[in-house]
Amino acid sequence: MGTTIQPVTHVSMPKRAPKKRWRQWVTGYSMILPNFIGFFIFMLIPIIATIGLGFTEWDLVNDPRWVGLANYKHLFKDRIFWLSFKKTIWFTLINVPVQSFLALLIAVLLNRKLKALNLFRTLFIIPWVCMSVAVGLTWTWLFNTQFGYINHVLTSLGLERIGWLTSDKLALYAVIFVNIWQYLGWHIILLLAGLQIVPQELYEAATVDGANNWMKFWKITIPMISPFFFFDLVVNMIMTLQIFDLPFAMTNGGPGNATRVFNLYLYQKGFSFLLMGEACSMGVVLFVLIMVATFLVFKFLGSRVNYEM
Amino acid sequence: MEKTISAKRLLLYLLIIGILFLYLFPLFWQLSTSLKESDEVFSGYNLIPKKVTWKNYRIAWSQFNVKRYLLNTILVSSIIMLGTLICCSMAGFAFGQLQFPGRDFLFFLYLGTMMVPGAVTLIPSYYIILRLNMANTFAGLILPFFFGSAFGTFLLRQFYMTLPKDLFEAATIDGAGYFQIWLKVMFPLSKPAVATLGVMTLVQHWNSLLWPLVITQSPALKVLAVGLSDFRLFRNIQWNSLMAAVMIAILPMLLILFFAQKYFVKGIQFSGINR
Repeated sequence: MGTTIQPVTHVSMPKRAPKKRWRQWVTGYSMILPNFIGFFIFMLIPIIATIGLGFTEWDLVNDPRWVGLANYKHLFKDRIFWLSFKKTIWFTLINVPVQSFLALLIAVLLNRKLKALNLFRTLFIIPWVCMSVAVGLTWTWLFNTQFGYINHVLTSLGLERIGWLTSDKLALYAVIFVNIWQYLGWHIILLLAGLQIVPQELYEAATVDGANNWMKFWKITIPMISPFFFFDLVVNMIMTLQIFDLPFAMTNGGPGNATRVFNLYLYQKGFSFLLMGEACSMGVVLFVLIMVATFLVFKFLGSRVNYEM
Repeated sequence: MEKTISAKRLLLYLLIIGILFLYLFPLFWQLSTSLKESDEVFSGYNLIPKKVTWKNYRIAWSQFNVKRYLLNTILVSSIIMLGTLICCSMAGFAFGQLQFPGRDFLFFLYLGTMMVPGAVTLIPSYYIILRLNMANTFAGLILPFFFGSAFGTFLLRQFYMTLPKDLFEAATIDGAGYFQIWLKVMFPLSKPAVATLGVMTLVQHWNSLLWPLVITQSPALKVLAVGLSDFRLFRNIQWNSLMAAVMIAILPMLLILFFAQKYFVKGIQFSGINR
């Protein structure tokens, strides 16, 4: 049997295979071409160009002029640059743990056989599908010193009105609060997906051994969810370091420089002061910041994560 | 026993509904303000307006120019979505099912750029659009995103890789060309993945602010995010009309969320887990 079939395949293969393979190459390259053009022109070239332009003085009108490290030197002496740098780090340090942990608590609450689970999940991501500019304005109205709902609640409790967005001490926290609110649902969905993978038998076995809910949470849920939670922290950090829309819409960086986060200052450097070279060097700094932060998180938190699934 | 369990359930439901009410309260307040007469906006704090008026929506629609912003947003985000779906589907299929030299290298190049912040590509992209004479045009708003994203290609590649190899081979033996295999056999199978990418792309570009902000100046070209952000610097805002404008801006995405909720959930899970 084998001997009668073998020659057939041997004869047909060399004839067809090279042509087929060649056709597959051509089709493969043509099918990625449109996507690749976009990627090449608006991703690859700009990344390389930004690094180069970071060493130049450039106002869009005249040709870029090579200035070496002058932009970086200038940035590191710029008080507002450091301010925006610190604001962004502070924003991230508060936002990420609070948001991710709150999301974990709600995800644990939702992780049961609930008939309305899909509805609840959908309701929790509503703020995420809303445009930041829109909900930023809504919160500006809620935070309004004179007529806002939040100060209405405070005054009816007999407390003083607070200038949430007009005080340079509070404005940043108000924006962080809104950011936590807006993306909470996103993190809930992500962590819920992780929780649903935890095998039910573990909980059943623990029940047999007489464990209560609190023990199950700390001994089963937390170790099992830790890779997801760690992952959520990393993604959250990378997103938060790039925050722009909310501070732009709610306070435009003010009052003073209270909410002038990194990306907002970069935008203003480039498009208000036309210091394109310096703006590009800020882009490089942001990228390095994200890389370093990610590395540090992996180094100091990553080793504590339980990967035995 | 039965009774205590159902009481626990009830408590759980009440707790979740309570959290959700608090969580979504800002949006209820926004809706409520948008339906109030001006004198009630500054005097009462009732969630249900004493007298419901649609006047604010008329003011937002015509005086605040929201009609124009809305049409622009629909135009820009739907064209970007269409281009993304086509380009990413084709590229995802090629990366996931075809063999060609340099395929894996290219794919890792794509993945490598996914961590690069948007601020890094902003200024050179702006300059390219400027040189193409597309600053302050619809083309300038659309072009950089029309060819799809690394994220979209990644999402569809992962989908195409899950399709059985037999399917591909069966279609090859039938004599179909590779492009035909994609168009006639594989693309129709990819509807769930395409829908997921579709809603994620639509939401992203419906809400996107930074690129439209730098690329458009004339009011006729502004999208909702840019048009609405102009109000942030106003003194003496008519809050009820502004909240009506905000309602109009978010309502289309809310509708899509309710009709396509499972694709949103899938999209979020993908952007998290496979990153």
